[in-house]
Amino acid sequence: MINANLKSSYAADERVLNNRYKQAFVYSMIALLILFTAFASDYLILIACQMGILLIAVVGINVLTGYTGLVSLGHGAFVAIGAYAVTIFNNVATGIIPAGIMPFFSIPFAVFLAAAVGVLVGLPSLRVKGLYLAVATLAANFIVIFLIEEDLFAPWTGGMVGLTTNSPNFFGWVLDTKREMFGLIALVGFVALMMAQNLIRTRIGRAFIAIRDRDYSAEILGISLLRYKLTSFAISAAYCGLSGALFAYFYARILPEQFELSLSLNLVAALIIGGMGRTMGPVFGVIIVVLVPELIKVLFGALAGDSAGVGQLRAPLQQIAFGVLLVLFLLKEPLGINQIVDRILRAANRWPFARG
Amino acid sequence: MEGGGVVGQFIQFAINGLMSGAIYALIAVGIVSVYKATKVVNFAHGYLIMFGAYFYFTFSVIVPGQEWAPAWLANWQPEWMITMKGDLPMFSPVAAVLDWLSNVPRIILGLVGALLCNAVLGRIIERVLMRPLMGQSVFAMIMVTVGLISILSGGAQLIWTADAASVPYIAPNMPIRFELFGTMIFLFGTDLVNMIVALLLFGGIVAFVKFTKGGIAIRATAEDQSTAYSMGISVPKVFSRAWVLASTTGAIAGAILATRNGISPSLGLFGFSVLAIVLMGGLDSYVGVLIAAMTVGVLEAMTQWKMGGSWAEIVPYVTVLVVLVWRPHGLMGQKEVERI
Repeated sequence: MINANLKSSYAADERVLNNRYKQAFVYSMIALLILFTAFASDYLILIACQMGILLIAVVGINVLTGYTGLVSLGHGAFVAIGAYAVTIFNNVATGIIPAGIMPFFSIPFAVFLAAAVGVLVGLPSLRVKGLYLAVATLAANFIVIFLIEEDLFAPWTGGMVGLTTNSPNFFGWVLDTKREMFGLIALVGFVALMMAQNLIRTRIGRAFIAIRDRDYSAEILGISLLRYKLTSFAISAAYCGLSGALFAYFYARILPEQFELSLSLNLVAALIIGGMGRTMGPVFGVIIVVLVPELIKVLFGALAGDSAGVGQLRAPLQQIAFGVLLVLFLLKEPLGINQIVDRILRAANRWPFARG
Repeated sequence: MEGGGVVGQFIQFAINGLMSGAIYALIAVGIVSVYKATKVVNFAHGYLIMFGAYFYFTFSVIVPGQEWAPAWLANWQPEWMITMKGDLPMFSPVAAVLDWLSNVPRIILGLVGALLCNAVLGRIIERVLMRPLMGQSVFAMIMVTVGLISILSGGAQLIWTADAASVPYIAPNMPIRFELFGTMIFLFGTDLVNMIVALLLFGGIVAFVKFTKGGIAIRATAEDQSTAYSMGISVPKVFSRAWVLASTTGAIAGAILATRNGISPSLGLFGFSVLAIVLMGGLDSYVGVLIAAMTVGVLEAMTQWKMGGSWAEIVPYVTVLVVLVWRPHGLMGQKEVERI
């Protein structure tokens, strides 16, 4: 079937979901998520939670790298700031703020703190870009993790041994099972994704895209590079802070080593594998980045049972698989899975006529 | 503490800093060479160094330890050495030299093996991963080297699962003491030799790029690829030469680091601090990189002296942020002119 996407009013053209396929897709996704939350097995819920937490951070990095074209290899630091901010806020404010409304203060605090640090880290982006920015953000990641581990701040951050976290409590409803947490994560993740989709049709989002395509040209068109680059950093760091807050609520304990460089690289890899500068890119990317190591784990479990010799090979193999995936996508499909999906959908749309 | 003592301590730490700075410079030269020829910044250079260190470990410890290896390989002890050792007092410098001499065969085997294996590794990486990306965006090339990080570190864990033992020093490890401004300055012979080796190699590579035909080909390629092609320079050959240069210097740096810090997967992290140093000095300037490496080495030693060891590890990162805000293209890097 061949069909056009006719819009007869500006309002229709400006909608967030500007055609009925997108609407149908989103509604069916909502239904699927609700069914999944209700009926999926505990194991699937656990994996889906990991994906959801990572997804929010990758959506954030998509705003920065995919839409604004600024490379960052340090966004793990913002996830760390979110996670630590929410936990420390909890510990400090216990007794001052009632437990039932704590998340309504601690999560925004974490998000704002991450955004503020994001602006700070983004400052070099005004003078440097590309590779230099990648190294500057990488340096920022090392510094943030170092400060968290440092003895000086250990009374608050717990130093190398990390902090125990507690479950979120919404008006007395404590989300202490993984399934309840998944409900929260899925809701936040969905809203985050829709907000990102909305962002790119606003003035700010279009300014980001102009900066990505040619920053000097954008400046000539009247887009303030200072303002929009920092906004982009703030938004993406805020997403990562939100992801960190959920991370802290989800796991029983946070450790500084969870937020080191490998997390930052994971985020960027997920974005590249999924497809940069596309709303669904992070979703595809996160699914791959979480599933592939998990599959290797399952495969090894089936093959080796619990023999230690083979089990030792698992972690390195997961790492290698991750690297190979990243390299393969860069070499063969730089626009990521989103591009593959687009091709398939286009072919389906034109069927039975010409493909491609 | 009296004034003279502080000055002496200052000099002691400055010398320590210069010695680690020289090794930074040796690592940095690999990143700069690859960048100059191919415009790729190798984020995985630290992991190439780690491979160099593991190869050195393999050929200087594992191979001589095998049953089929001749005994002189593991421990070379001719008659005259045993008699000489018998007469020596404890802790004499001569004993240190003799210890080193009996290790010489396996040190040589280790270095040669590490050089060859790393050269092959560098070639493979260039051929399989880098050449298909010729002419792609900077972002894609950075991210391929990032993917290479996972592949290399996973690969190293897969191959060398055994706990790493200590490796032989590449030079006699005798203590050297002398007095300066009323304090004893205390150095290890091997550190001094490491520094000299690192600086000589650095100088050798700079001279190679500056004066030889192959070096001129590298510089011509850096200037303009298509012009280099039309002048009869084989650009792919230049690329693989640059990668081999980087991975062989990396092998030596790895061997040196292995004797200083021990062998562990965390050796790869050195690459990131050196990357910071390279950007600080200016990506395409050997002189700038040397200055930056020495500065960071000394600053690290000073931080270690005044604030304790753990603060030293973020010194390169803080310095690079400061330098980048002040001079976006590094101390002596070429400013890129952009046209719209």
